Amino acid sequence: MIDRLKDLWAHSELLFNMTRKELKVKYKRSVLGFLWSFVTPLIMLAVFSLVFSILSKNPNMSWFVVYLMSGLFPWLFFVNSLMQSVGSVVGNPGLVKKVYFPREVLPLGAIGANIFHFVMQMLILLTFLLIIGWHFSIYILYLPLVMLLEIVLTTGLALFISAANVYLRDVQHFTEVATMAWFWLCPIVYPIGQVMGKLGGAFKLYLCNPMTNIVEIYQYIIYNPHYYARMSYVTGQKKQPAVVYLSFWGISGTIVLAVFLLVFGYHYFMRKERGFAEQI
Amino acid sequence: MGTEYTVEVNNVSKMFRLYHENVRSLKEKVLFFNKRGYEEFWALKDIDFKVKPGETLGIIGANGSGKSTLLKCITKILYPTTGKVVTNGSIAALLELGAGFQPDLTGRENIYLNASILGFSKKEVDKRFDEIVAFSELERFIDNHVRNYSSGMYIRLGFAVAISVDPDILIIDEVLAVGDEAFQRKCLERIEEIQEAGKTIIFVTHNVEITREICTEVVMLDHGVVVKEGEPREVVNYYHEMMESAGEGTERGNRAIEILNAAILNEHDEPSSEFRTGDSLKIRVAYRANEPVEDPVFGLSIEDYRGFTAYGTNTSLKGMELGTIAGEGFVTFNLRSLPMLEGRYLVSLAIHSRDEQTTYHWMDRREMFDMHSDFNDAGLIYIPSEVEMSRPGEVTHEPG
Repeated sequence: MIDRLKDLWAHSELLFNMTRKELKVKYKRSVLGFLWSFVTPLIMLAVFSLVFSILSKNPNMSWFVVYLMSGLFPWLFFVNSLMQSVGSVVGNPGLVKKVYFPREVLPLGAIGANIFHFVMQMLILLTFLLIIGWHFSIYILYLPLVMLLEIVLTTGLALFISAANVYLRDVQHFTEVATMAWFWLCPIVYPIGQVMGKLGGAFKLYLCNPMTNIVEIYQYIIYNPHYYARMSYVTGQKKQPAVVYLSFWGISGTIVLAVFLLVFGYHYFMRKERGFAEQI
Repeated sequence: MGTEYTVEVNNVSKMFRLYHENVRSLKEKVLFFNKRGYEEFWALKDIDFKVKPGETLGIIGANGSGKSTLLKCITKILYPTTGKVVTNGSIAALLELGAGFQPDLTGRENIYLNASILGFSKKEVDKRFDEIVAFSELERFIDNHVRNYSSGMYIRLGFAVAISVDPDILIIDEVLAVGDEAFQRKCLERIEEIQEAGKTIIFVTHNVEITREICTEVVMLDHGVVVKEGEPREVVNYYHEMMESAGEGTERGNRAIEILNAAILNEHDEPSSEFRTGDSLKIRVAYRANEPVEDPVFGLSIEDYRGFTAYGTNTSLKGMELGTIAGEGFVTFNLRSLPMLEGRYLVSLAIHSRDEQTTYHWMDRREMFDMHSDFNDAGLIYIPSEVEMSRPGEVTHEPG
């Protein structure tokens, strides 16, 4: 394992180049090029703002669009990273069969490119909030840590599925369907309070979803429900309706799970990697 | 650990499972759970050799003999089923032209990408960038997309990167053949420089004559087994022999007249397979007509090992009409003076009808002989020649 990490370190330049390649190839032959990384989230923000300023008349939440975007951008990073990395090994037979390099560079490169997009989106969102004079909470300083937590979770999962997909191509299709269902299991387009009462005992199960916890943290530190939502349900005291629900067990459990997934995913990837060139 | 060698291949075997149909979806996996049969195919069996720094190892063998699999095991693309490969030092491998090139990036960007795949840093490439471009002769196209490159440009760029990043071990698989002759020359010169720098080179080629030129050692593989290894000349000769014997036995014809036997005789009418330039050679063919045949033609052709016909003749070309042939007899072709220089030659024999519509008996590459020469001249044949010089403009220095 240590040797392996050393080897990966020796190829860190390649990882960087792979990430750059993903970005470059994506915007090749487009006039705006890298500007698309800014333009896309900007337009999303504009469209959702417009839609929710007309539609949403939730009396308990002002600025619903900020609540939405603070969960949606992290989710998009998660799902795009998974979808791009799951096919990254299978999609590069020319490289895998003909050149030696640590194969984890392939899924990691896909994630790297998505980290770049994600950071762009977050910068756009924060700039937008600064312009409209957002009332930030001090917890916004935790933002890099939450992003790190999400990246760890995503990487572990991505390593696992990209290796498994070499042996069983269903993984790719399964990921597509599973992430779609997963999206609705996370309180992104609806506040968590809407399911809290209805689920009853199953709510504990609902909270086992690591992405729910991660999305909740984003919403808590960016949306600042103490200020923008009335009667926010923050620390577990029973005050309805809840906009954000955070629990100690949810957060610590997610951290443990993310680290475990990274170690397990990497281990699995290394074990399966030897057969990649034969299986593709 | 063994720093004496840069590449150690220890008893490496590689088995592939040939599944009858490659099952990759869940449904099929469940349906055929553990029922699907596969055949074991051993692409490599107990390969064992070591390469020292400064050595150049050539690997030759027919198609499917396991050469590329072996290279892939050395470069850690494949992992041996049993045995172990130990390498010391950085490796640059060129297993396919333009492997790892990204068609949507420019030549410049691909140089950096490709070098980093080989494990080299931007700084190292920066230092050698001009050298790489100059070697590839792509100055004008370096900022064009690689997708628009020709295959020759691809290989030039790939080769330029691989040899310029200064690896300890350079591994090349049959890619030199693509460039034009001038570029091949340049590559060979660069390879010589790398050799002089004490680096290790392993390469696979079908052009066995090149191995004779640049290798210090050659390994010949056949069906995954090392059949011969050692000094290049020796192994290459063995390779030619094997290749010829593989071609032997191609016979056809309806056997109305049959070739019973054939012998190559020297000037004293003794069987021989060694001749010198200028010697005479007789080929005596014993035949038997199994039925009376009208107006057949007896012929022969002499080819070198590449299949190039050096000479051919037959009774028809010599203006002979043989009438009806019945029973047994001999035909003797008398070649009075052999012009060939060094090399191995193969003799094919044929009996057919005058209009060449019916083949009675055709034996491809039936006999073989070696040519040796006292002449140092180059080429296939010797032309009696001398060189004269006249230098009228030169002042002669007379002593005193």
